[in-house]
Amino acid sequence: MPDAAPTTRRRAWLRGLLAGPLALLAALLTMMAGALWLPEGAAGLDHLVLPVLVFPLLWAGWFLYACLDPRLPRGYAVVGGAALLQLGLILAHVLAAKAGGA
Amino acid sequence: MIKLPKQQTQSLLAVHGWSGVLLGLLLYAVICTGVAAVFAEEIGDWANPLAQPAPATLPAGFDARFRELAAQVDPRHHEEILLFPSAGKRWHLLFHSHETGADGQHLERGTEFELDPNSLAVLSRQDGLVEDIGAGRRSNAVAEFLVDLHVRLHLPNPWGLLLTGTLGLMMMVAAISGLFLHRHLFKEIFTLRRRRGLLTARDLHVTAGTWNLPFAFLLAFTGSFFSFATTVGVPAMAMVAFNGDVEAATEALTAKKLPEDATPAAASNLDQLLADARQRGGGGDIAFAQLQHWGRADGWANVQLAPREGGLIGDILLYSLPSGGFLREQPFLGHTPSLGNDLVLLMSPLHFGNFAGVLSKSAWFALGFAGAYVTLTGLLLWTRRRDEQRNWRWMNRGIHAVGYGLPLALAAAPYAWFLLPREGAWHPLDTQGLLFLLVSALVILASLLARDLDRLRRGLLAATGLALLGLPLARLVGGGPGWASAWQQGQTSLLSVELALLLAGLLCLHFARRGAQAGAETTPASAPTTAEQA
Repeated sequence: MPDAAPTTRRRAWLRGLLAGPLALLAALLTMMAGALWLPEGAAGLDHLVLPVLVFPLLWAGWFLYACLDPRLPRGYAVVGGAALLQLGLILAHVLAAKAGGA
Repeated sequence: MIKLPKQQTQSLLAVHGWSGVLLGLLLYAVICTGVAAVFAEEIGDWANPLAQPAPATLPAGFDARFRELAAQVDPRHHEEILLFPSAGKRWHLLFHSHETGADGQHLERGTEFELDPNSLAVLSRQDGLVEDIGAGRRSNAVAEFLVDLHVRLHLPNPWGLLLTGTLGLMMMVAAISGLFLHRHLFKEIFTLRRRRGLLTARDLHVTAGTWNLPFAFLLAFTGSFFSFATTVGVPAMAMVAFNGDVEAATEALTAKKLPEDATPAAASNLDQLLADARQRGGGGDIAFAQLQHWGRADGWANVQLAPREGGLIGDILLYSLPSGGFLREQPFLGHTPSLGNDLVLLMSPLHFGNFAGVLSKSAWFALGFAGAYVTLTGLLLWTRRRDEQRNWRWMNRGIHAVGYGLPLALAAAPYAWFLLPREGAWHPLDTQGLLFLLVSALVILASLLARDLDRLRRGLLAATGLALLGLPLARLVGGGPGWASAWQQGQTSLLSVELALLLAGLLCLHFARRGAQAGAETTPASAPTTAEQA
């Protein structure tokens, strides 16, 4: 029982980390990578505009999910996995652009 | 009714409460100023009216006046010319050019004329960097003070926008979590128990909040978009798609490209061009015009019109400057119609409520007011429930100071515009800011010294009422047209604002007085404040 309070406090901090900076990072990376995988549309700008437009919704969505998932490790896996996936897409694009430029 | 497991409900309850308390006071400030800013145009016109009301559109002879002024500025500044209205429908004509500074920074330099909308006489002229010209504009200072407080809390860019964007996100989170938490959503919409004290206050908060949920979400979403689009969105997109070049990203989204041709070519008559644009736009007012490469063969004019009656968005029309011919209807973003362009254009009327004139603005004002009420009562309920704890009692004082002091400081700020010199060394935005801070400091002092928070609340309400009632008189002292003259000249906007101020002032006095009577009649109502005195 004496360990219950520190554990609860640690979980609260971990939850805060997930719902705060990590959810923001996931939303930012999803927005940035959206420019790479969304269709360009007739004017060639939908892929640039739509991610910016839905950015507040992305952040709110990740934030609420991070607060609600009862299993913290799964929350980290989902938010972190999504963020890493988008980061991988962005890095691949940047490296390909550099290789093309060279 | 939305059923959730107990643990998730508790998590949501914590999110709902803390998201409200942590940033609630700042959010309240943003909502309060946003409510007033719905009528920013009318407030600007009211604070600085012309002796003779402006005509619906630019008077004939604008083209001749334009050419006369163009001849007075450095020809380099013919590169880009902006035309837009401000307070009292004064027209601003900004000639400017783009250059690269010594440190490689992009700079805009030019000359701006402020024109009387009736005679087109030059009211003022400013030369220099466009940034400084913008900071030096004075005619719309009362509305600008409100809008700037709403948009970025008077903090420097980009921090103010980032803060208000984050507040918008918290409001969105509060709205979504509120939707899940209020299990008896439809029942609570109509539940108002007529009992004094905490229960009724809770019912009012829940009922106003429940009705207001979709609107709160809408405002929070669109507000966050406006705050983050330029500070986070465009730089992030530029990083991915334009190798970090923000200028290139902006150019790709907004530039109206015509083939480059620097051959000198006389520009066509602007009176005819603007008249044609108004006719194509259903007779709507000119909201904004951008002229590029005036006097060159590739010159073009982009004319943005106010929305047609019943429409959400005004037309944007592209013209050739040498021929004066209509080229095409121009999307706000890109060169051809797109889903992204349509959705971005929708953000503005949804946030500002300016799509159906005074009617939609009044609806947005009322809904925004309900939002401010929900925020304030939510904070008060939260602290009153924790009234036995010392820290929360201090928080309760803070909420009273901000909740009832902010409207007072906002009502007091325009006195600086009306009663102090407008053209002196001090910019009217600064004098208003100083008066705002002075009143805020006095309110904070009063809230620290107050022994009875209910008396403080009533005192601040009464002071706000008096400040609102005095504003029309201050305007008259400041040199504006009298009521009879305004009535004769059909300045209904001015009279409507003054009527609204008088009504709001009387309502504040009424609620201050009613609160006093209720407090005298029923001691239980003042129970929370007796704990404060203990």
